[in-house]
Amino acid sequence: MAGQDGGGRPGMSPGARRPGLVVDGLAVRYPGRPVPALADVSLAAGAGELVGVAGRNGAGKSTLALAAAGFIPRVVRAAVSGSVRVAGLETGAAGPVDLVGRVGIVFSTPSSQLSGSKLTVREELAFGLENLGVPRAEMDERIDRTLADLGIDHLAGRLPAALSGGEQQRVAIASILVMGPGVLVLDEPTAQLDPAGMAAVADLLMGRAAGGTAILVAEHRHVVLARAARVAMLDAGRVVADGTPPQVLGPAIADRAGVEVAAVLRVAAAIGLDPSLAFDEGALAAALDRWAVDARPVPAASAPPALREIAWEPVRAQPSTGFRVDGLVHRYPGGVVALAGVDLAVEPGETVAIVGQNGSGKTTLARHLAGILAPSGGSVQVGGTSVSGRSIAVVARTVGLVFSDPDRQLFSRSVELEIAFGPRNLGLEAGTIRRLVDQALRLSGLDDRRTANPHDLTGSDRRLVAIASILAMDPALLVLDEPTTGQDAPGVARVGAIVDAMAAAGRTVVAITHDMEFAARHFGRTVVMRGGRIVADGPPAAVFAPTNAALLASTGLEPPPIARLAGRLGLGAPVPLTVEELLCRATSPAGASRRRGRVRPLTLTLPETPSSS
Amino acid sequence: MNGGAATAIGFFRPGGSWLHRRNPLTKLLGLLWVLLAAFLLPPPVLVGLAAAALLLAAACGRLADVLRSLRIPAVLLASILVVNALFYPGGRDLLAGLGPFAVTREGVEFGAISVGRLLVAFVASVLLLQTTLPDDLLEALVAGGVSHRVAWVILAAMQAVPRLQATARTILEAQQARGLAVSGSLGRRLRALVPLVGPVVIGALVEVRERTFALEARGFGARRRRTAYRLVADPAIDRWLRLATVAGMVAVVAAAVAVR
Repeated sequence: MAGQDGGGRPGMSPGARRPGLVVDGLAVRYPGRPVPALADVSLAAGAGELVGVAGRNGAGKSTLALAAAGFIPRVVRAAVSGSVRVAGLETGAAGPVDLVGRVGIVFSTPSSQLSGSKLTVREELAFGLENLGVPRAEMDERIDRTLADLGIDHLAGRLPAALSGGEQQRVAIASILVMGPGVLVLDEPTAQLDPAGMAAVADLLMGRAAGGTAILVAEHRHVVLARAARVAMLDAGRVVADGTPPQVLGPAIADRAGVEVAAVLRVAAAIGLDPSLAFDEGALAAALDRWAVDARPVPAASAPPALREIAWEPVRAQPSTGFRVDGLVHRYPGGVVALAGVDLAVEPGETVAIVGQNGSGKTTLARHLAGILAPSGGSVQVGGTSVSGRSIAVVARTVGLVFSDPDRQLFSRSVELEIAFGPRNLGLEAGTIRRLVDQALRLSGLDDRRTANPHDLTGSDRRLVAIASILAMDPALLVLDEPTTGQDAPGVARVGAIVDAMAAAGRTVVAITHDMEFAARHFGRTVVMRGGRIVADGPPAAVFAPTNAALLASTGLEPPPIARLAGRLGLGAPVPLTVEELLCRATSPAGASRRRGRVRPLTLTLPETPSSS
Repeated sequence: MNGGAATAIGFFRPGGSWLHRRNPLTKLLGLLWVLLAAFLLPPPVLVGLAAAALLLAAACGRLADVLRSLRIPAVLLASILVVNALFYPGGRDLLAGLGPFAVTREGVEFGAISVGRLLVAFVASVLLLQTTLPDDLLEALVAGGVSHRVAWVILAAMQAVPRLQATARTILEAQQARGLAVSGSLGRRLRALVPLVGPVVIGALVEVRERTFALEARGFGARRRRTAYRLVADPAIDRWLRLATVAGMVAVVAAAVAVR
């Protein structure tokens, strides 16, 4: 790697002059790949600066993270040119000890970053210090200081494997920072977390930047990106924009790069507000209020590039099927009560999003619908028939459950064969199977990849293959477990199109999700779970009303940004969920009368409070 | 749903029994002694060894768990017994005839001895695993002069089994949810293995990559003199026990040579 001085290159901010991370003219090509993963990438993160890296899946975010942390080319083989310097040290020539003391990296899966053998968080943090040969006498002090700096001292004595994802991720960050690096690189650190976990990690990163660490974070989530000092947008391995979050994440750049545009930026653009104010919810609400007084015609807000609508034509003659769960209790071996009495009736053809923090019982409920678990109490009926006592394979004729991890099910050598596996198991005729496979490929947008090996695809495409492999069984009831996890904006839009198409075909669709905007946009009903019970149930416009804010917060959730803005404007249920609805409601006569009355007191309606476990 | 806590500590069952308090090296040497004795000494000794192992398990409150764990090798042990009883080469003393098969005394004896040896080895190993925290074993091995990379591989292997079990269960459920029937004829069952083995292997490879990254990020590749945070107790009684065990090993080997 040729070291050159990075001063004056594009993408350098004044803060970058202090030692931190400097990437200059970096190009990376993996062996056997025709196109480079990164080309001429220059950016910098100075001490105390949080720099975000956005981009759709496959844009090069992970490669940039690996290179910035010195993993490329030391651990991952690749041809590299250009230079990466951390705290003044050229990474290409540095040994592991020099690197680990200067730069640390955190990945997206919390559990696989922990050593997996430690009994306490304290010992987990000691692991890196042991490898660096830090004298035992110094360890406790360094561990205590790191835990206190990160505000997680209360976790010190806990078993790492028993922590929540958000807690584990903060421990993973702590176990890197305890080794003393001045530069921290993170690759989608919130991808696997629930909303409360995401917020906690975002807060921690802000705190560390304020404490002087240089941070580079590759992310999809606005909860992190919006708070960055700068964001670099990657597209096909190149930096296509580098600026403040409002500049880079606005429709002009993000829509083109396949990155989700923050809804607040669409609102700001529609009302002609300076985008730099958009992430300040209070300021945006005030501006929106002033704007609405003039009651001008509602402008068209920018919208993400829409997918061509693709329909699903039912192939198997199945009646539309709902389900009914009565007093469902589930106790795992070891005594953990995952479901503490769930009652839920879903009519044929309904679309239901189930939300709630990790551990609230969502996945357990989904597994009961597919007949994988036997109730400890209560009953599950699908289409009027009890599920218990029937084999999973028999229930699968009616209920299609897509597991959250596609790698737990893909095994065929081509996408096509993978998708045909399910309908084959149903014993359908060859012609019917072909029709189903073709349709599933089209709906999931995988038509051009039908002969590819599923394991050569990106993570988002593998998830789509897993969904398509269930679609091809033409289930009367489709259950999706976290279908948008790890998806970029086009991927989320694709999953949304699948939900819409199945619903239009009269199929019942249930999805577990941590993405409130996804839930609000594609599902007619939102079910909120907490501690193994349902605590709210209704149309999203009612569930996400400001009056429910405290209830949602109690299970680690908050309403989607548009609903929050509506709350600040005093607009009650049915709360607007899209930019257009918000602008309409704000200028409507009802909105005007609301303004005359000024701030309406928020009333809180909590259902009977179950003990959250 | 979440077997994370279980996999973190492998087969370890927390407790404060006499065996729990022994230094892992002492227990490892003890296990080696049991293996030597079981395989080198005359078969009647097996009865004593098995009785001693079960007594020790009972004294440490682990008897129920140990007996339950015997389900794991049960099929293997039974088949060893049956195959030897029926097909032991050179078996002359006919005990019973079953159509074309003949049960010979030599076969039954050899089968029983093999099963006895494996049973003793299994029970002793389970006792070690259930009363020893993998991390303590690692530290004890390193303290005993084993390279910490080698010790880490041993630790990883100990943890891999429960983790793999949890993964395999999820994969089985995921494929059943795609209509895979796992009961029926032998051919059908064998065919049902394909969609299970693929994801298990791929999952293992993905995990190796993730864990390599995680270890690298924590300075595992640093060629530095490693320090230890966790202190593993090594009371005087353990040092005496280890001396006694080594002497016991010499005695076993000597006795085995003398008997032959």
